[in-house]
Amino acid sequence: MGTNTTTRDEILGRLRDASRGELPKRPALPPLVELSWSREHLIEKFIENLVEQTAVVHRCKDYVTAADTLTEIATLHRLHKVLASTDGIIETLNLRAWAEKAGVNLFFARDFSDRDSYKDFVFDGAEAGITGVDYAIAESGTLCIVHDKNQPRLVSLAPITHIAVVPVERIYPVYEQVIENVFGKDRPPHSHVTFITGPSMTADIQGVPFKGMHGPKRLIVILVG
Amino acid sequence: MKVKTEQFTHVAEQELKNVRTRALLDYISSIIDARREEAMSSFSDPAAALAYGRAIRAEAIMRMPELLEEFEKKAAAHGAVVLWARDSKEANDIVLRLAKERGIRYVTKGKSMVTEEIGLNDVLKANGIEVFEADLGEFIAQLLERPPFHIVGPAINIPVDEICKIFLERGIMREPTTDPVALGAAARAFLRDKFHHLQMGITGVNMAVAETGTIINVENEGNIRFAKSSPRTQVSLMTLEKVVPTMNDAMHLLRLLCRNCTAQKISAYVSMDSGPKKADEIDGPEELFIIVIDNGRSRFYGDIQAREALRCIRCGACMYGCPVYMKIGGYPYGWAYSGPMGQVLNPLLLGLDKTQDLYRACTLCGKCKEICPSGIDHPKMFLSYRAKDVEGDEIYKGKRRSWKESAAVELLTWGIRRAWRWNLGAKATRPAINRYADDGKLKNIKGTFEGWFRSRDFPSMAERTFHERMDGRDSSETNHCRSEEEPTGKQCK
Ligand code: SF4
Repeated sequence: MGTNTTTRDEILGRLRDASRGELPKRPALPPLVELSWSREHLIEKFIENLVEQTAVVHRCKDYVTAADTLTEIATLHRLHKVLASTDGIIETLNLRAWAEKAGVNLFFARDFSDRDSYKDFVFDGAEAGITGVDYAIAESGTLCIVHDKNQPRLVSLAPITHIAVVPVERIYPVYEQVIENVFGKDRPPHSHVTFITGPSMTADIQGVPFKGMHGPKRLIVILVG
Repeated sequence: MKVKTEQFTHVAEQELKNVRTRALLDYISSIIDARREEAMSSFSDPAAALAYGRAIRAEAIMRMPELLEEFEKKAAAHGAVVLWARDSKEANDIVLRLAKERGIRYVTKGKSMVTEEIGLNDVLKANGIEVFEADLGEFIAQLLERPPFHIVGPAINIPVDEICKIFLERGIMREPTTDPVALGAAARAFLRDKFHHLQMGITGVNMAVAETGTIINVENEGNIRFAKSSPRTQVSLMTLEKVVPTMNDAMHLLRLLCRNCTAQKISAYVSMDSGPKKADEIDGPEELFIIVIDNGRSRFYGDIQAREALRCIRCGACMYGCPVYMKIGGYPYGWAYSGPMGQVLNPLLLGLDKTQDLYRACTLCGKCKEICPSGIDHPKMFLSYRAKDVEGDEIYKGKRRSWKESAAVELLTWGIRRAWRWNLGAKATRPAINRYADDGKLKNIKGTFEGWFRSRDFPSMAERTFHERMDGRDSSETNHCRSEEEPTGKQCK
C-alpha cells in the first residue's frame, strides 16, 4: 500500500500555513540528582524501587551462585518447563548445563520450527521465561530489554513468571543514558525496546490493585555482582 | 461512539443520584491529591520538572508540522508504513481495508482514546470484524456498552456485582464471584486465547518521537505488549499532537505522565517501536502501520490559543482534580474525553453548538490548570469558548444568543457608558425585574434571560439604589444603618 500523499500534503499544508508563533524558551533541565549516586547507592535504589513494585530481587556474587539461586527458584515454584532467551547473559550463565543439573526442561525459541509452534509453547507450555536484560535503570527500578533474534518479545511477557538476570554493571542512574546507548547517533535502529518495572498489573475494578493482569504475575530478578 | 454531549445536564442529574459512584468519587477525592503530590515529590525539584514538561509540550505543538514530517521520514526509514487520515471515516476505512486485505476475523485493541474518538469499534463490528478491548477497564465498558468513565480508569465506577453479572451472561466465567482479583483472572483467561491466535493488533500511541521515528506506549497490564508481539500485523493510531521532538523529551514526559496519571514513577511497561520486526526475529509484527489522524485538528491549529488544547498528554489528573467531575463522573460529558480535558477538546472537535454545557460546567477554580503537566490553561479556554459562542463565531460554530438577549446586552452596554443613563435605567428597571421575585430571589425571568437562570439565582433588587440610600437625603435610613449595622458608631458614609 502506498502512502496517501494527497491527504498527507493537505494536512501538513494546513499546519504549515498556520502562523507559528514565537518559540518559547525552554527553562533549564531540572537536575538529575541520580547522576551523582555512588555505585552501591545505585544498586540499592534500583532494588528498592523494584521491590516496591512487588518484584523479588536476589543478589548473587557471581554467575555460579546465580545458577544456584535459579535452582532454588525452580524448586520453589515447581518449574518443569521454561523458555529462555539466548542473549549474552543467558549464554554466560550456561543455562543448558544448569537445566540438566536442576532437572528442568529448557527451551529456546530456536528449538521451534516456526512462529506458531513457538507461540503455542510460550502461551500454553512455558511455566516461566528467563531472560537477560540489556540495561537496568535505578531511578525507577526498571529493566530495559532491546529485542532481537536472541531476545524474543513474548519470553518476558506470556509465561506467568518472568525471571530476569541483571549484572550490576548494567545498572544506570537514569533513562537518558540508556536511551543514548540504544537510540544514540549511528546506532542501528532496534525494532522493539521494552521497559519493564514490576509484574503486569491493573487497578481497573474499583481501584483494587492486583498483579498478573495479562502478563507475568511474578517478576524475579537475579542481580549478579 | 455516539456523541451525547448535548445531554450533559440530563445525565449529570441522573449521575448525581448514583450513590455508589458518589461514594467512589468522594473516596478518590480524599486521597488523590496526596498521592499525586507524593509521586511528584520524587523529583528533586518538582516545580522545575513540571515547568520543563510544559515547555516541551508547548514547543512540540508549535513545531508540529516539521516534527510530524521528521517522524514520518524516520519511521518510514525503519520500515513502518505511515498513513494519513483527514477524519474518522478515512481512518476507519484504512483500518478496515488493512483487516479485510488480510482476512482478519478479530482484533484486540489496547486502550486508545483516539479509537474511541473515531468510533473504530462500531465500524469494524458492522463489517464483521470482532473487536476485543483488551485493557480490563475498556473490556468491561465494552461489554456493558458504556462510554469511558475516566480516560485512565474507564470502568473504575462499575460495581463488582454488575461486572459479575455481565461476565456470567457473556460466558467470560462460569461461577459467580465479586472478588476483583477473580474477575480480573476470568478476563485474563478469556483474552489470553485471543492474544495467542491474534493476527492483527491495534494500539494507540502515547508519544511519537520525531528524532528517531519511534512510537511509545505506556501501560500497566501488558495488553499493548501482546498486540505488538503476537500478531503479524500491528496497526497503531495516533493523532497529530502525539509527536514530540526527541527521545530525551519523551523520557521527561514519561516521568510526568506516570506520576500524574497513576502516581507511579513509571508504569509497569513502556514499549517502543521503530519499525516492524527484523526478518530473523521470531515474534513481533512483520508489518507496522502507523495511522496519523487529523480529525479537525489542523483546522483550529492556526488559532494560537485554541491549539493549546493539543498539548494534553492524557494523564487524567485534571479529572480527579475537578470539583465538577468529582461530583458527576465521566458520563455526562457524553464522548471519549471527559473532565476538564474533554471540556477543552470536545468543543473544538465537535463545535461550540453541540457542547454548550461543557464549557459552562466549570467553577473557574483553576485547579486543572494548576496541576496540568502540559501547561494548559483550561479556565482561560472556557472563557474564550463562551465569548465565541455568544458572538456566534462561525469557525467554531458558536450558537449566538436570541435577538432579545443580544439586544438587552447591547442596551446594557450602551447604558453603562454614561452615569445618567445608568441611574435612570437602574431606577426604571427595578420594579420590572422584581415582578419575577420569589421569596427575595430572582429564579427565572421568562423569555430573554431564561438560560441564564438555569443554574443561577439572583437576589431581588432593592427598592432604592445604593446612592439613593447613601446620599443622606433620607436621614432615617442613614440612622437606621448606623444603629443596626454599625453598632460601634462608625460613619456609614
Ligand atoms: S489536560 Fe493536562 S491534566 Fe488534563 S489530562 Fe491533559 S495533560 Fe493531564
